[in-house]
Amino acid sequence: MAASNSSSKLFRGGLSNNAFAGSRPSSELARLDFLSQQTRTFIQMRTNLKVVDNSGAKRVMCIQALKGDKGARLGDTIVASVKEAHMGGKVKKGDVCYAVVVRAAMQKGRCDGSEVKFDDNAVVLINKQGEPIGTRVFGPVPHELRRKKHLKILSLAEHIA
Amino acid sequence: MWSVLRAGALSSSSSHITNQFRNLSSSSSIVARGFSSSAIDGDDSNTITKESEMLSLSEVQKILADVGADDVKVIPAPTRCEFTDYMVIATGRSPWHVRNISQALVWQVKQKQRGAKRMLLPTVVGEEGGKWIVVDSGPLIIHAVDEKARAYYNFEGLWNKNTSDTEEIPDFAKAFVKVRRKNNSKKRPQAQR
Repeated sequence: MAASNSSSKLFRGGLSNNAFAGSRPSSELARLDFLSQQTRTFIQMRTNLKVVDNSGAKRVMCIQALKGDKGARLGDTIVASVKEAHMGGKVKKGDVCYAVVVRAAMQKGRCDGSEVKFDDNAVVLINKQGEPIGTRVFGPVPHELRRKKHLKILSLAEHIA
Repeated sequence: MWSVLRAGALSSSSSHITNQFRNLSSSSSIVARGFSSSAIDGDDSNTITKESEMLSLSEVQKILADVGADDVKVIPAPTRCEFTDYMVIATGRSPWHVRNISQALVWQVKQKQRGAKRMLLPTVVGEEGGKWIVVDSGPLIIHAVDEKARAYYNFEGLWNKNTSDTEEIPDFAKAFVKVRRKNNSKKRPQAQR
C-alpha cells in the first residue's frame, strides 16, 4: 500500500515534471541540447580519417595539419600516414603522403551565412604537387574545394554537395 | 552514412549560432547553395554577358586548334552538376606543351580584358608540374593533360557515365511490379493466364 502510494506519488511527480519541462522556454531546452551534443573540432595529429578515393588506402591517421595552429578544417591539406590499405593498391600501409580533407564533422561557414557539416571525416590522398593519387572520388564533396584551388578533386568527384 | 546537414535548417540549433542562421531556417537548401556558389565563383557565372567576358566555348576551341592541342573533347556537364556548364579536355605532347596551352588561354583572356580597370583572370591549378593543368573560368573548365595522365584518370569514362546516369533508369515501369514465383511443388495443373 505504502509502496503503491509512494510509487503513484513518484509517477505523479514524474508527470508534473514532464508538464513543467514542456512549459519551459525553448532556449533552456536548446541549452540542454547543446550540453548533451558533442562539439566537433578540428582535424589534428592522431585523427583517424576515412579515405574516399580508389588509391588503395582505407584509413589514414593525420600526422600534421599544414595550415592552422588549432588543426585542419574542410578543404585543408594534411600530412597523413596510411594505417589500413587494400591489397595491391597504389599506396601501402605505413606510407606517408599528403591528403586533402573533403568531409569534416566540424561545421564550416559559407559566405551566405549557412553552415555545412558532414557525418564523418574523409580525405583524398594527393602527392606533393597536388595531383590526386586515385582516379575517382566517392561520396559528396563540398563547394569549398573550388575556393581552395582543389579543382582536380572536384572534377573527379561523383557528387558535389 | 554521410548526410550533409545545413545548420540553418536544423530545428534545434546550439546556442552559439546567432539569430542570423535561424532566419535562414525557412529557406531551402538549394537557395542557400545558389547564393554560396555565386559568391564563391566571384562574378563568373551570374549572367551570359559575364561568361563571354572570360572565355566562350568557340574561342577556346579556336585557341586549342591554334596551339596544336591533340584530341580536344567538349563535354557538357550533367544537369545535376551545378558548378560548371562545360568541361573541355585537351592533350599536350609534353609538359611544356601543356603549360603552353594554359598560358595561351590565360593570354587570350587578358587580351579580351585589356584596358579594363580590373581584370578577372581564370584560376590555373597545377602550373608547376606539367602533367595536369586546370583552367577554371566559371561555367567553363578546361583540363590540359598529357597522354599518360589522360589514360590514367580516364575523364571521358567519368563524365560520360555521369551524364548518362540522370537520363534513363532502365525499366522503371517494371521496377515496382511484384512478380510471383512459379510454384511447381503443388500437383494441380497450372491455370493458363
